[in-house]
Amino acid sequence: MSFDTNVTLPDPATDRGAFRAHARKWLAENLPSTLQADSLDFKYPSLEEARVWEAAMHKAGLWGMTWPKEYGGHGLSLREHLAVNKEVGALLMPESVGSIGKELAGPVIMAVGTEAQKNHFLPNILTMSHMWCQGFSEPEAGSDLARLRTRAVQQEDGSWRVNGQKIWTSGAAKADYCLLLTRTGTVADKHRGMLMFAVPMNTPGIRVVNIKSIDGKDSFAEVFFDDVVIADDARLGAPDEGWSAAIRVLSIERATNRMYRPWRFEAELKFLVKALKSDPDLAQKLEEADVQKRIGQIVTEIDGLKGLIERAVDQMMGGAPIGARGSLSKLSWSETHQSFMGFAYELISGVTPLNSALAQRAKKHFTTGYLFARAETIYAGTSEVQCDIIAQRILNLPTELKA
Amino acid sequence: MSDDSLSPEEFAEAAGAAILDAQSRPDATRDVLAEAGLFSVSVDEDHGGMGLGIAFSVPVAQTAGEKQLRFPIVEQIVLARAFAGTEQGEALLGGALTGTIAFAGALEAGFAARAAFATTADVMLVAEGEGAALIDLASVTVEADATLDPEAPSGFARLEGATVLARLDAAGYAALKRDVTILFAAFVNGAAEGALNRSAEYLAQRVQFGRPLSAKQAVRHHLARMKLGTEAAIARLRRALLDNEFAESRAIETALTGALSNAVFVVEKAVHLHGGMGFTEELPLHYSLRDVRKIETALQAGAQTRAIGRAFIDAA
Repeated sequence: MSFDTNVTLPDPATDRGAFRAHARKWLAENLPSTLQADSLDFKYPSLEEARVWEAAMHKAGLWGMTWPKEYGGHGLSLREHLAVNKEVGALLMPESVGSIGKELAGPVIMAVGTEAQKNHFLPNILTMSHMWCQGFSEPEAGSDLARLRTRAVQQEDGSWRVNGQKIWTSGAAKADYCLLLTRTGTVADKHRGMLMFAVPMNTPGIRVVNIKSIDGKDSFAEVFFDDVVIADDARLGAPDEGWSAAIRVLSIERATNRMYRPWRFEAELKFLVKALKSDPDLAQKLEEADVQKRIGQIVTEIDGLKGLIERAVDQMMGGAPIGARGSLSKLSWSETHQSFMGFAYELISGVTPLNSALAQRAKKHFTTGYLFARAETIYAGTSEVQCDIIAQRILNLPTELKA
Repeated sequence: MSDDSLSPEEFAEAAGAAILDAQSRPDATRDVLAEAGLFSVSVDEDHGGMGLGIAFSVPVAQTAGEKQLRFPIVEQIVLARAFAGTEQGEALLGGALTGTIAFAGALEAGFAARAAFATTADVMLVAEGEGAALIDLASVTVEADATLDPEAPSGFARLEGATVLARLDAAGYAALKRDVTILFAAFVNGAAEGALNRSAEYLAQRVQFGRPLSAKQAVRHHLARMKLGTEAAIARLRRALLDNEFAESRAIETALTGALSNAVFVVEKAVHLHGGMGFTEELPLHYSLRDVRKIETALQAGAQTRAIGRAFIDAA
């Protein structure tokens, strides 16, 4: 695969639609049909192919829009980020394989990293030279990270010795670095004493054991840390500092990452309808009143999610803190998509080799999508955690009577 | 008046004060609302209005829903705007007439139905061919349909001998229906917001098992989902009123269907969360329940949702 990376980015100040038009044009000219899930040519890209594609997207101005230019970004605003996401969402390209770096590790490093760390890590994330995984969850600490047990003890030479186990770590086997959350004290310290590191995954003592998930993939893993020695310059901030910054970053990221989702869901819905239309037997389903009504409901839900995202961008552009509002979009997108995938699966699951080729492609897409969607209400904070956050931090519901 | 120096949100506070004033003087509701200028926001300046777009009437309608105003304010606003420059438009704007809209029937069919507050209104808009006619309700007999709402029944009228006061052509009627969609979405979003806020306040004070009910996770999660639905509904309407990056306008239909499905969910849940109190007429939650269900029926929300799906299928 080769892509046009000799791109002059438009100045968004000259024309409000310029950046979105640029993204639309570049994607139309460069995204191969083999990377489009609604194409009969589609095939899952290899890791190397995905890296090359995402690196090209970055060069074309479609990744790292809001990152400062000195760290490899494009120095633009959330408005351009959103404009690009709308076009990225409109095409059924594979999910990013570098999202942990771009949407989590990068922003955390930007917030608390030293200048040397920023200069080293940030450009490499955008060029896809470094892949990252997220080492937060543990067997005893899923939603409740206060129960984290992985321990970092500083040694006389300043380095840190880490012991513990992480689990449900997406992309661990292919990652170059881990954004590792540890504690310096004991579990009794709860949220105090948390310490973050940028750990090379080839450090002696790190062992990755893949876990097979219900969608048949083995993209997440258990990661064991046995007497792993980490240099002090891999530390991200002081104890407590890195973690509290990460919490702030995460609340922003929850609102801003993968903004393309509602536009992607809309593209998936189009694919579902096109696949059904492509086969006379299946097309009959689209004449059923309850199917039409359910599609109308899904379109309505998608518009609501678009509204939440666009309003959040306008608020942030106006300088308003995003606070806990990312929980609204997380709860909304995960449950909207999970429900949509269930509906799509019901419509498409009966497809046989006698049906159209596009319907068979759709059956694969939506069956995998249905299974993967089970995870959507679990990862990045379960629906119950999001409801807790909304109740506590947005509605300010008391748990005791006010005096 | 220029739109540039104002934002629609600034109208919410003024509308709220006027609506509270109107509710404290039930015999003078229409006069108070007219005097406060709530019917004139989106009427042309040349015809006595403020000359602002329909988006500036959104906070007025939303506040009316939130405060459970029992007056056909959406109908009054859109009729005053549609008939601006006519004798009837001036009367609607100034509060000399109360207007309603029949969402079923037609002049040529000889009947009009699903008109809110028709038993107390003075004029009613009814479809006529591709356009619509404003008829004098004194010229017809209105039968109250009090099945759902005895205090503010919908109306049914047989139109033989109806006096037509003014007419809208097809384009004018289409523009009015767009305004109706927008402002009813805002009204029911307000109803949902009001029901949610009343529930959150009540549950923070209602002590059972030694703690406020808002301490219970099941209750907190209900309220969180009510908040999510209401925020999404408000954001959906806001988005529908804004052009996209290419200065293209957006469809508004999902703003109404989404607002209605959320409002029904939120208000019904609010009744439930108030426990036995929620089932009493003493608590005014039932007004919002009746209002959102009447609007849902009047505008045929289920059929509209299906039409949105059908349109998506056809376009895909």
